[in-house]
Amino acid sequence: MACRAGTVGAVPEPKRRALVTGVTGQDGPYLSELLLGAGYEVHGLVMPGEVVPDEVPAEVRLREGSLTDAGSLQAALAATRPAEVYNLAAATSVAGSFDDPLGVAEVTGLGVLRLLEAIRHADPAIRLLQASSAEIFGGATTSPQDETTPLCPISPYGVAKAFAHQTVQVYRRSHGIFAATVILYNHESPRRGPGFVTRKVTIGAARIARGLESELRLGNLEVERDWGYAPDYVRAMHLALQQEVADDYVVATGRTHTLRELLEVAFSAAGLDWRAHVVSDPGLHRLGEPVRLCGDATRARARLGWAPTREFADVIREMVAADLDRLDQAAPSSGPAPGPAASPREQPRG
Amino acid sequence: MSRSALITGITGQDGGYLAEHLVSLGYEVHGLIRGQNNPRAATVRRIVPELRLIEGDLHDQSSLIAVLEATHPDEVYNLGAISFVALSFKQAINTGEITGLGVTRMLDAIRVVNPAIRFYQASSSEMFGKVRETPQNELTPFHPRSPYGVAKVYGHHITVNYRESYGLFAVSGILFNHESPRRGLEFVTRKITDGAARIKLGLESELRLGNLDAQRDWGFAGDYVRAMHLMLQQDEPDDFVVATGETHSVRELLEFAFTQVGLRWQDHVVVDERFLRPADVAALVGDASKARRVLGWEPTVSFPELVAMMVESDLRAVSSSAASAAAS
Repeated sequence: MACRAGTVGAVPEPKRRALVTGVTGQDGPYLSELLLGAGYEVHGLVMPGEVVPDEVPAEVRLREGSLTDAGSLQAALAATRPAEVYNLAAATSVAGSFDDPLGVAEVTGLGVLRLLEAIRHADPAIRLLQASSAEIFGGATTSPQDETTPLCPISPYGVAKAFAHQTVQVYRRSHGIFAATVILYNHESPRRGPGFVTRKVTIGAARIARGLESELRLGNLEVERDWGYAPDYVRAMHLALQQEVADDYVVATGRTHTLRELLEVAFSAAGLDWRAHVVSDPGLHRLGEPVRLCGDATRARARLGWAPTREFADVIREMVAADLDRLDQAAPSSGPAPGPAASPREQPRG
Repeated sequence: MSRSALITGITGQDGGYLAEHLVSLGYEVHGLIRGQNNPRAATVRRIVPELRLIEGDLHDQSSLIAVLEATHPDEVYNLGAISFVALSFKQAINTGEITGLGVTRMLDAIRVVNPAIRFYQASSSEMFGKVRETPQNELTPFHPRSPYGVAKVYGHHITVNYRESYGLFAVSGILFNHESPRRGLEFVTRKITDGAARIKLGLESELRLGNLDAQRDWGFAGDYVRAMHLMLQQDEPDDFVVATGETHSVRELLEFAFTQVGLRWQDHVVVDERFLRPADVAALVGDASKARRVLGWEPTVSFPELVAMMVESDLRAVSSSAASAAAS
């Protein structure tokens, strides 16, 4: 006999809510844009006192919390009641991880464990996306790597990321949490931090083109990476949480390029010959640097329907154009020479 | 001048055996102990009277630096861990902190205080988890299935990383299960030998267990601590699997233990779902051929001898405590 009153009138469906950690990094703003565009209410977790860059969309609701503070994670879940959590927060510098292996382990490694425990206690139906990294395969003896390649991290950063990756797998299997990982290979964009080699090169090329520098010092020019486009990679994150079952997905282009090729593309985009400006400095060769990492994204292509949209050279050219544009905007009175590349705003977004 | 060693996890099963072994070799042995009035300190002091205990905590890196500065060890053996797999599901963060990051804290303390100190990391066959090849050796990939296994993989990787990136003499011993009369009662071997003794002496009537088909490679702890020491005496640091190479099921263990006391295990053992682990690992069996070849190590106690040793010890312990209870 129990009956319920029929719904009168059109009640708007509540928005799906997502919580994004590491919202201030390169990927956080791109993911936020994607989720907002898909109709999500997006909450971003920021470190207490953290400066929030302009790239973070204004619609993102920010709250303070830290992966090193389990209580702050529980509070964030209770307050935001998300359907999906995207864990992008991590100490992202591989080289820096040698100076602070413990700090890296606390955030990048144990951070995801604290988050999973908070999810388990708050609402086990919450879906988690863990941003894993190709650095978990740092010393891999086979190429390309896929989801079944044995983990072989060779830096404190990679070791911590491996801990996080395997922790997600344990919680998926033993606690039934919908926790997926995307094993992201290098992915770049004009928003890449200046500490990363791609951005170091595109800034360097732009500054040399504008006469602000004369040389660029780099480490090993023979390292090979599988470089993709960040906006493509955040799509894979979202897709990984819309599946029937949680799984691990390598997200990569499957093609590698050397640092030398990167220089070639970046400097010619700035109208320069890199050989005249780049100095290879053995002092900059870093510890624990994988020689070659190349990902096989067959699973992501087949199950998520994911594919990269942007070629390596196009990504680098977009970055150089953006850096030239930034320099010109910063010093408009000096009458900058027109750059050879178009402004990024005139280019289609991936 | 005698050599000096520092052992973390000194109150555990292996800590006592290793301390005894090192003392017998002429080492000055320090044991790291956590907290005030740790009740297990008295036990290990009784086993190894020469042992010097010093306070410190794998949770607190500055305490480790202070301990290294005070004890000047030539060798550090990191046996400290939250080592019980089932507990690691309930205390996952603590397990990560101690079993995992504790390794980094000690390695980093060594790097700061004296990079010439040699470091032994007690790794575990639980790192292999869901194995895809049998037997497992030093090259077998890790698929850990518990927070404990994940934390141990972290400890292994970071040990290799400090060796390769910072040049420390840091080694990882991948030890398969190793038991003894001193094994904690929470471990299935001791639970069974203690249970068999209690049932024999009429103090209990049944024994509740989880998966009887689980198979393990069980060796004797006294044999395994010799391998730890040998690993730090090599010219080059390297990682070694330490195992017997034989597997036995929990069922076989029951058979040996109950036969020893003249009982049929089928009359007393109850399978209890509550003891099934969330994701039990399949058959683990180690290939220790590298340790045999390079270290000249081999096990001296067989599985039936090990079970007999543990049952005898538990019969003595249970009957003497029953006698003292009756006398009081």
